[in-house]
Parts: sequence; structure tokens; C-alpha cells
Amino acid sequence: MKTTELIGHVDSDCFYVSAERVRHEHLRRIPVGVLGNQGACVIAKSYELKARGVKTGMPIWDAAPLCPDAVFVKRDFRWYEVLSRKLLGIIRSVSPQVEYYSIDEMFFDASALHEPAENLQQRILSEVGIPVSIGISRSRTLAKLMSDVRKPFGCCTITEKEEIENFIHLQPVEELCGIGYRSTRKLHQHGIRTCWQFTQANRHFIRKLLTIKGEALWWELQGEAVTPILTERKKHKAIARGGSIGRPSTDRDRLWAWTVRDAERLIEELDFHRVLVGELVMKLSYKTAGDWSRSVRFASPTCDFDKLLEAAHRLHLVACLELQGHAITHIDLIAERLCERGAEQRSLFEVDEGNSSIARLKRETNAKLGRFALRSAATLPLTDIYNDEAFNYDVCDIRDKTCF
Amino acid sequence: MCDGVALSWREIPDELIGKHGLQRRLVKRGEDADREVQFLQRDRQPVLPVWAGGQLWVWTWGPGAQSRLPTNCCCNNESLEAGRWSWLEPQPVEIPASYVWHKGVWYQAVGGIRGILVYDALGIPHVYVLTQPASHYYKVMTRSDRMPVFLGDGI
Repeated sequence: MKTTELIGHVDSDCFYVSAERVRHEHLRRIPVGVLGNQGACVIAKSYELKARGVKTGMPIWDAAPLCPDAVFVKRDFRWYEVLSRKLLGIIRSVSPQVEYYSIDEMFFDASALHEPAENLQQRILSEVGIPVSIGISRSRTLAKLMSDVRKPFGCCTITEKEEIENFIHLQPVEELCGIGYRSTRKLHQHGIRTCWQFTQANRHFIRKLLTIKGEALWWELQGEAVTPILTERKKHKAIARGGSIGRPSTDRDRLWAWTVRDAERLIEELDFHRVLVGELVMKLSYKTAGDWSRSVRFASPTCDFDKLLEAAHRLHLVACLELQGHAITHIDLIAERLCERGAEQRSLFEVDEGNSSIARLKRETNAKLGRFALRSAATLPLTDIYNDEAFNYDVCDIRDKTCF
Repeated sequence: MCDGVALSWREIPDELIGKHGLQRRLVKRGEDADREVQFLQRDRQPVLPVWAGGQLWVWTWGPGAQSRLPTNCCCNNESLEAGRWSWLEPQPVEIPASYVWHKGVWYQAVGGIRGILVYDALGIPHVYVLTQPASHYYKVMTRSDRMPVFLGDGI
């Protein structure tokens, strides 16, 4: 894959809030929180709300008392996707190589940029209405670090080696994308607290401490672009659907309804990517801070909804038995051991009859009438969820992103 | 249900602001934020902005001093449909609002909320906020079983 001389990183400032402000001007200059997790948590906050101590992920019942005059808005991923794709279109118009990293972040080949980053920033603001921060440097790690540091609505272009060294001198190592809590702790134990100290450490030592990913960061901080811009998403190793189920539940019917909902969403994704699943994993989290996980391996890879559901049902029954009395908070179904359709190793003993006529009818009906217009009767306990259009389109439904 | 609504001061004619002494209800949510008028149920004399007959009015919210009117500030939509308010000859009205306040949470209510208008024995108008069973999202957000009937997209 071709590497580029200069890499740019565009990062939207509090994207969901900014997107709401595009269509509701009265939300400007006031503390705003966007609520997700079925209305329970703040998933995005304006800078005014952040200044009042509200953090992303905070429950609404903690956030509202901290900032009693804040206004809370319901998330709308369909609208956010419209603006995200508009933003992507603008960046594609100025660069031959663009990576759609996430709904609000994009990397691009900045070598071909014939104007200052500030002009691009102003164009995005006037055409999309979203304020962004832009970083341009010799690697994506440096570009991202620069856009982060200059937030909100900042621009930072540093390309000369000496200037890069000056820039990273005081940047805390935990600011690096890919350095989480555990890695930070490990680095601190060895006296590495700044990005500069990170670059001065022995490369082999960093690799030993933080694996090959840590070594890639080491190179990137030196200005060597080792992680290319991905103009297309890599093939999935696994596909998951699920998440929070709202209020914790021990109700078997409701838990099964969530599982079926996740299975229906999962099969959509398997169909879209034209893949078969070799193993289905069910992961549950429960209120007493535990995780539970079991899997079913198929005799031969499948995309048959009934087989997937049957496997999910077996896992559900085991979960009910083993987690009796525990209130479940999250359910995830993960399709693993994926292979392309037509390239699978067929079992000698199993005849794959393909999707049942009911599954086919459901797919065709929903293609005409809209997602979930026809759904399994087992999901009836979730009618309140299905009645709300906002729940029927999630950030993971926005395709082609290279990250989450 | 509803403990208050807020409306941008730009949407309220100066004449109404002066007539009803709404200046004291003007607030700003931030230093550079636009001013808004807050109409709260806890006010000594609660009032609401109301669109009726192509005009914006400010009318008493709930029974006020009229003991013969229902004592709540809200009207249960089910009881309205069952005819339990018919003796008051209620008329539907629209309550414009940028935001609604309930159980300590301000949330956006695009378009506003619905209400009913009734007259007391002296012919004075009173407004009640129309309510319905809360959606799942609303229940989680406010921990309330009832929510207003929204004019625009529900939440």
C-alpha cells in the first residue's frame, strides 16, 4: 500500500452536539448533552456542559444535577450520518486518499492539499455547519495528536523534524491513540510520561512492553508513517451486534427478545458483507459486575437465520441456567470464524438448505417496507423499543467506517 | 408530566412580555446564550404561552385560584378521551416551547406540546398540559410514567 508524505486528520468538535446545532440553532452557546443508551447516558457533550463537570458516559441522573440548566437531546444517528457523509465528501474533493475512520473522524493524504488547512476548516464549517479541528503531519499518530491538542476549532500543521520534536516534548503519553489505561501504567512504571520520552526509549524495549502496536506508535512519533490510510475497510474478522438492554433484567422473555433482536440485526450484517459464520459467541454482562461468555461452533459455516437463532437459543438457555437471579445489563452476539460465501468448507454430513422461506420473506418484506417492519414474534416484549425509530438505527449501522 | 417550559424571548412579542411581567422570568443558560422566558409550575402564579386563534397568549396554567377547576396542572389524555373533562368544554391548544422541564431535566421539544383550554365561571382562560403514557426513552430519562403530548416528533 502506498504511503503518503503528509497525513491529515479531521476531527469534528463534539460532533453529535454540533450536528444537533446545525438543525436547531437555539442549542448554540448553551450546555447541551446528547443522550444515548435509551435515554440513560450522556454520549456527547458540548464544551459548555463539559465545563460543568459532566463526562461522556455519565448517567442522566448524575449529569442533570451537575448542570441543572443543561438541555438534553435524543440521539439521531440517521441525521448524524447525513452530516458525516457530507463531511467525507468535502475531504474526498480535496484529497485522493481518504479514510472514513469513524462517524466524526477522517484521515486523508494531505500531500495534495493546495491550500492551508484553515481554508478546509472554514469550508467544512460553511458547507456542513460542523466545526472541526485539523492536524497535518508526517504520520497519522502525529496528525491525530495535533488535531486533539488544538481542539476546539484548531488547526496544526507541523512537518519539520525539529518542530515535531518540540511539539511532542510536553505531550503526555496517554494522549496517544492506542495508549490506554494499562499501557499508560506500564510506561509510567518505566519513567515514560511524555511522547518525547516514548521516542527516546529503545524501540525493542517498547515492542516488548506494548507489542507490535506500541512499536508502530514509536515509529509514527518519529515521523515515519507505518500505518497507511485505509481507503477501504479491511475484511471483518468478527461481526457483533448487541449492547446495553436498558434497565437490567432477569425476565427470561425479555432477555430472549433482546437476543432475537440482536440475531436479526446480525444476519442483516452477514448478508450485507456476504459472509458465513463458523462460530456464534454470546457475551453477557450482569449487574454484579460480571461477564459471561459461551459459544457454539457450527458443523459448517452458515448464514441461515434459523440455525443462528437455534444456536442463540441454546446459549440463552445455558445463560438462564448459569446466571439465574443475576440481572443482565448487556447482551452481545458475535459472529466469529467468518468466511466468504462460496469459499466455505462444506460438511460431509450436513445439508445446508439455505435460508428458510420465512427468513427470506422477512428480508424481502423489510427491504420494501422498512427495517423491522416484519420481525420475529419473540421480540414482542420489546415493542416499546421497536416503536421508537431512534432505537432502530445505531452508530454500528453506519457502514464503511474503518474503526467502530 | 411537565414542570415547566422555556421559549426564546424572540418568539414572544414585547407587548406580552410587558403585559404579563415576563421580564422577571427571563434567563440565560450561558454567558453568550440567547435569552429565554421560563414558565414554571412552581411560580407563584404559573402561566403558559399558548397559541390559539392564530395568536400567542399567556394564560393561567392550571386552576389558579379557581377551586372548581381540576387541581392538577396537567390533563390526562385518556381521561379527556373518556369524556371526563367534557363538562368544561375543553378546546385543544398548542403550547410553544423550545425546551420542557420535568423532574429536574430540561429536554428539547421541537415544536412544543399540546394542551387544553378551559374557562372558569368568570370566563377566565386556564390551560392544562395534555399528557400520555411515557415512551421507554422518556421513562429512562426522567423516571416518570407520563409525558406531554408532543406537537412535533415524539421522544
